[in-house]
Amino acid sequence: MDLVRHLGYFLVVTEELHFGNAAARLGMAQPPLSQRIRRLEEELGVRLFERSSRRVALTEAGRLLVPEAREIVARVERMRDLMSDLARGDAAVVRAGVPADLGAAVLAALIAGFRDRRPDVRLSLTEMGTAAQVAALLEGRLDVGLLRHPVAANGLAYGPVLVRHPGVLLAEGDELTEWATVHLGDLAGRDLVLFPRDAEPGLYDDTLASCRRGGFVPAEIICTDRVEFALGLVLSGTAVAFGAPAEVPGVVWRPLAGTPLAWRCSPAWRTEPGPYVRDFTAVAVQVLKENAGMVDEGVPPAPRVAPRPATGFLA
Amino acid sequence: MNPGMNRGMNHGMNPVERVFRSAGVTGWLHAVDIDDGREVGLRADEPVVLASVFKVPLLLELHRQAERGLLDLSERVRVPAADRTAGGTGLAAMLDDATLSLRDLAYLMMAVSDNTAADVLLSRVGREAVNTLLDGLGLTATRVVQNCRDMLTSLWVDAGVADQSDVTQACTDPEVVARLRALDPALGNRSTPREMTRLLAMIWRDEAAGAASCAAIRRLMALQVWPHRLASGFPFDDVAVSGKTGTLPTLRNEVGVVEYPDGGRYAVAVFTRSLSTAQNQPRADAAIGAAARMAIDQLRTHI
Repeated sequence: MDLVRHLGYFLVVTEELHFGNAAARLGMAQPPLSQRIRRLEEELGVRLFERSSRRVALTEAGRLLVPEAREIVARVERMRDLMSDLARGDAAVVRAGVPADLGAAVLAALIAGFRDRRPDVRLSLTEMGTAAQVAALLEGRLDVGLLRHPVAANGLAYGPVLVRHPGVLLAEGDELTEWATVHLGDLAGRDLVLFPRDAEPGLYDDTLASCRRGGFVPAEIICTDRVEFALGLVLSGTAVAFGAPAEVPGVVWRPLAGTPLAWRCSPAWRTEPGPYVRDFTAVAVQVLKENAGMVDEGVPPAPRVAPRPATGFLA
Repeated sequence: MNPGMNRGMNHGMNPVERVFRSAGVTGWLHAVDIDDGREVGLRADEPVVLASVFKVPLLLELHRQAERGLLDLSERVRVPAADRTAGGTGLAAMLDDATLSLRDLAYLMMAVSDNTAADVLLSRVGREAVNTLLDGLGLTATRVVQNCRDMLTSLWVDAGVADQSDVTQACTDPEVVARLRALDPALGNRSTPREMTRLLAMIWRDEAAGAASCAAIRRLMALQVWPHRLASGFPFDDVAVSGKTGTLPTLRNEVGVVEYPDGGRYAVAVFTRSLSTAQNQPRADAAIGAAARMAIDQLRTHI
């Protein structure tokens, strides 16, 4: 039997949970579809659906098969696309996801660097948050991503971890701009503009936990992945933001004392990286270091609480 | 310019609540005029964790036992260097064997919140005796069930650190703070803001014990050295502030009495819990003084 094609039928039935509708979608009659699902069940030695006169439901085995079947079908499709591109003489494509706040210069350097190394391969970039990249990598819609840590995902492999320590962006004239370095605790009571939690769940929680630790609980958090919007809020004195220095008049950048925030990032892919993914990873790591000010992850400095009797426990 | 603080938010909110909110803390408060009973409260009957504030009822029981002849306040007690309850002040921070009188141990316990001194005194008077005293005063929501060592031990057990010296660091982690039993009023030394001001008012009116004992307790509470909490709300030479602080991860407390030059006397109890886990939060400390001043000012509007 053609296992891949049968898994494709299976997936359509799981989406419709109705043999008649699934057959209509596949442009076939219902009896042959039912027959093929039965053949798949025989092949695998399990029942995939509970069928009654009124409804069709997945069995436990069917539920377990869904993600596996999706992966196999997607990978086979991808393989066919790749081969047919080559057969037609089209350039091969590597599909990469990158974070929204990478910046124009870094993006341009990334594309130029990849083009230099692999002029025969087209780089297709999509702007995506970490959560979307993880889903796309696992489903085979991306070949490689640039993820922000911490990430909780099974089934991904990671390249070198790079880190940058964001500073704080303040409005010119803010009293804190008088300091050479700003402590997180100095920001107490301010509003913060930050990337959305939906896009970067791990880094969002990690950043706010570090802020709580450092004495900064924002009065309000305004979420956006639009850099211009964030800078507008900073410029107007409405909120502060974390990040790299911005070349915008009226916005002042100051480093955070003790580098309490560590934003980590690394290339990621599923299963074994192919040669294009390796090339992309090598270029991305180089560009992020040279153009985005990131550095290799070292041993993080141990945070400390200097003892002060008046504020110590049970004082 | 500090935009976060200047937003016109929370208009119409209780002004005491507003002070707490803008300092990033949840607050519990009760203030009472010691002489006419007028009062102001915010969540005043909710249970709160006492932390070191439990040293006030302990001090009272010490004096009551002295009044009954059960102990002599000038009796000298040897406090060996080994196996002391930890802490950053007083005997808890000293390195050598010491011999002090019971009342000088009480001074260290109140002036600098010495944990070693407090545990020596509590083991001497007994926890049950303190609770019996509290029952007799009608303060049944106030309980002393732990000594300082028990509280500190629960911190390092719950924080999951091997060495007690790592506790301070571990307790700035929000995930660790979320599982600390020491922050649950049901499990440790506890009270309510209203019961604490009742206790203080009885001490200031010579009702909690004999007049000489109450005077001795008031003397010690006036010798507390910390300027950053209750006292920070009353930076005036002619206002007297007596108090006892209490501190645990995210908790900052102080109960005390504020005495105005016109004779007005106010017992106030302020308990706070901060969302931030940083140990140094001067705004949260100062909010205790600011909230107390606001509450006392409300009591004085009809003078």
